[in-house]
Amino acid sequence: MNDISNKRKILVCCGTGCLASNSYEVYESLKEKLEINPNIIVQIEIKATGCNGLCEKGPVVKIHPDDISYFKVSAKDVDEIIEKTITNGEIINRLLYFDTNQKKKIINHMDASFYKHQRKIALRNIGEIDPLSIEDYLERDGYKALHKVLFEMEPMEVIDEVEKSGLKGRGGAGFPTGTKWRTCSKFEDYPKYVICNGDEGDPGAFMDRSIMEGDPNTIIEGMIICGYSINSNKGYLYIRDEYELARKNMEFAIDKARKLGYLGENIIGSGFDFDLEIVRGGGAFVCGESSALMASIEGNVGEPRAKYIRSVEKGLWNMPTVLNNVETWANIPPIILNGANWFNKIGTENNSGTKVFSLVGKVKNTGLVEIPMGTKLSELVFDIGCGIIKNRPFKAVQTGGPSGGCIPKEYMDVPLDFDSLSKMGSMMGSGGVIVMDDTTCMVEIARYYMEFLSEESCGKCTTCREGIKMMLNILTNITEGRGQLEDIHILESLGKTIMSASLCALGKTAPNPVLTTIQYFRNEYMDHIVNHKCSAGVCKNLTTYFIEEETCIGCGICKKNCPVNAITGSLKEIHVIDEDICIKCGNCFTACPKDSVKIGGAAYAY
Amino acid sequence: MSLEIIKKYPNEKRFTLAILQDIQREYSYIPREYMESIAEYLNLPLSDVYSLATFYKALSLKPKGKYTIKVCDGTACHIRDSKSILNELLEVLEIEAGETTEDGLFSVEVVNCIGACALAPVILINDKYYGSMTKEKVKNVLDSYREVSTNE
Amino acid sequence: MLIKINGKVYNGHDGETLMEVAKRNNINIPSLCYKKGFEGLGRCRLCLVEVNEGKRKKIVSACVYPIRENLEVITKTEDIIKMRKDIILLLLLRSPKNEYIQELAKEYKIVSPERYIQKENDDCILCGLCVTACEKLGTNAISMVNRGITKKVSTPYDDPSKDCIGCGACAEVCPTNAIKLDENNGIRTIWNRDFDLVKCSVCGKYYATEDSLNFIGDKLGSKEDHVCEYCKKKSLASKFKKSFQNIY
Repeated sequence: MNDISNKRKILVCCGTGCLASNSYEVYESLKEKLEINPNIIVQIEIKATGCNGLCEKGPVVKIHPDDISYFKVSAKDVDEIIEKTITNGEIINRLLYFDTNQKKKIINHMDASFYKHQRKIALRNIGEIDPLSIEDYLERDGYKALHKVLFEMEPMEVIDEVEKSGLKGRGGAGFPTGTKWRTCSKFEDYPKYVICNGDEGDPGAFMDRSIMEGDPNTIIEGMIICGYSINSNKGYLYIRDEYELARKNMEFAIDKARKLGYLGENIIGSGFDFDLEIVRGGGAFVCGESSALMASIEGNVGEPRAKYIRSVEKGLWNMPTVLNNVETWANIPPIILNGANWFNKIGTENNSGTKVFSLVGKVKNTGLVEIPMGTKLSELVFDIGCGIIKNRPFKAVQTGGPSGGCIPKEYMDVPLDFDSLSKMGSMMGSGGVIVMDDTTCMVEIARYYMEFLSEESCGKCTTCREGIKMMLNILTNITEGRGQLEDIHILESLGKTIMSASLCALGKTAPNPVLTTIQYFRNEYMDHIVNHKCSAGVCKNLTTYFIEEETCIGCGICKKNCPVNAITGSLKEIHVIDEDICIKCGNCFTACPKDSVKIGGAAYAY
Repeated sequence: MSLEIIKKYPNEKRFTLAILQDIQREYSYIPREYMESIAEYLNLPLSDVYSLATFYKALSLKPKGKYTIKVCDGTACHIRDSKSILNELLEVLEIEAGETTEDGLFSVEVVNCIGACALAPVILINDKYYGSMTKEKVKNVLDSYREVSTNE
Repeated sequence: MLIKINGKVYNGHDGETLMEVAKRNNINIPSLCYKKGFEGLGRCRLCLVEVNEGKRKKIVSACVYPIRENLEVITKTEDIIKMRKDIILLLLLRSPKNEYIQELAKEYKIVSPERYIQKENDDCILCGLCVTACEKLGTNAISMVNRGITKKVSTPYDDPSKDCIGCGACAEVCPTNAIKLDENNGIRTIWNRDFDLVKCSVCGKYYATEDSLNFIGDKLGSKEDHVCEYCKKKSLASKFKKSFQNIY
């Protein structure tokens, strides 16, 4: 019996990513088997936590205080974990995480490349606490900021502190949070409202989901603090309909907080009243836009309105309203507790604090990452993400969702902050970082975003609705081989009009993916239009595969991977692809160990 | 009975979407007569409720299959070739995206990002996520549902 | 309050939009979705102008922009004309066969790239005036349906609506004549529904649907004689004439 401690804590990640890989089975099995195991004499606490970030390698099981982290754990591994690690303190090598940058197995996940560069503020509790336990939250300084605000601070002092911290809205536009609160506090119309935008819609971003699922109380605490500072007694959480677990956990946390006196009338005896209500979103990307979101809460179609009168003056039901996104709210309690100066020292000038990024796409380590503002993009992709899957050539990253842009590999030193990304023609957005390699076609990606927006535009104004449709038509033509040189000019010219003339932020930013890909990848557009070639092998009309005779070693791997038997050739002889049978799936291209499969242009003239 | 679903909410306009979502959950779509009952209960024009029901993607006016397969086409899934999974599904089930199989078992929908990007490509069948999908896995997954359904 | 439009000073009231001030002073700002007496909709985007509030210049849509003290407005700049041209181009691609859009395109000298003209002409440009008119009347028979590029105006389920009274207000406010209203043998057909027309008791011409007269009657709480607008005006005019004669 290796009795290193009389108390142990086992944390099983039950975020959506790990749940999808059956982590709940692991949790239940651990719980059940530990209860009946007579050999266990240490006190064991087992918790289902929120997301640990590294979802692709889940389910994640962490054992404290030994600081052992197991990845890709299945229910089948539970017996072994109990027998070896819990009872005998042995490490199971097989379940450790292999760090491709350090080229070794890692025992404590905090030593892994993915984690060691991170600095967690918004995600500080996630993965460490049971989201359904308010006690866990309290144990980690939960509601201390609220206590401080209600009993030691005047509303204006709270606003001063938030303003001084330099916190900017983490939802996209990056508007200074303190300024928003201050403006709203000056209007004397009541009731005022506080809203949490939990309608995370940017494809490729899931940090808000993770916070709502993994640490609901921090959002509640942030919102109450805002309510106190602007004199509002009512808040709404607008949560995406698809995020069922997030909603359930938020609902549970709100009920519990109300029971313990943190919500409702006379909060913890302070005399201040504040309560929260959850509203389910209906599945509309445009409802991430604040005026559309408010229209949706009111029971209307989620169409944005012109914001010449801002929502801090006339927002929900035409009353003064502060709306912030999930990640912004999660930053409030630590700022109040540790002070603006502490927050200000993290990040860079004008861009204080951290930002959560969802690092996804063709990168080895995919998941949620929280890093100080100003961290270089290359650090995120290569030091934390450990580079590109299969070590393929890196091409670009797309940031900021459909409103953002594509940044080519030449600009990998760009610091990740609001100002630097805007200068590149992209934007921070909600923090999606999508890594693309040589098999991603930049024209097709632009087309993809236009298709997305053509469905997600509310359709209210001409420039957005018809403009996006037109850009989609043009891009479809180009990717299918019908492009003409004038098309690039039309896209650029029209893009500028859509950006200036559209009614809301969705339309005003919609051309970004098109304009940035033209700016940085004009040669790919030209290749499609002039040479009828998609060098990424994505646009099937403009792709043929052939095998380079000089380098083919006749290993037969391509032949084995071809689903339609289009490849012929005997072992150790040069293989040949029959163009008429080939369906251009690209299996041979990625499978070839010698890079002998090459991509050619269109088989037919257009 | 859906009237109970409707009456769970106070008759205020702001609950229109919530009521529609509850009915969607119960019946897998919004039957026309219930759309009319909602309008009546909330004292709204039918055209308003209809406008709302056709605006939000969470709501459908057509019945859905017993199992709704959502194929995520968020950016992360898209660049990891979600299209090939979709195509395989449609080929095996012999339907188009947005349609339901004749036996009423499966519906296939293409959806925008479901926030499980690290597991891309992802499909969602009712409430269960299938991460790191490949087109080779499609048949097996579908068969497992067929089996459950015949054993019921 | 005083505002400056194209260099000249005008008087406006608090709460007025830029478009309202411009219209009152006969300053032309093109638009398709604005109608006097209706709240600005901001949908068609043609009424873009440049404003300067002291801080910086920005492009706004006049029909929804509330005026402020010391506002300076320019209704025509090179940028604005370029944008209007693009907007008209987009409308022309949607409604290539619509004569109102064609006229606009001619005025702005726009030729659309042949390859991108939408094959199916859609006369409706989704300005939303018809929906607003129907709402104002209190009938609410039509609404905006769907979203994104599939957005359209229709009755629920595209079926004849029991709320529709066939008054034709929607067709009357439509800037592109997109709403089909047919009249044949005392029957008016609109939004897939037939309505019986009523004859004017004076001139004998069909002039309104029975449903709309009943609707108005119910609203006013009284039944009026069935007299068409033309005859009403005529009788009013003759009454005037008589009183005029009596004075002298």
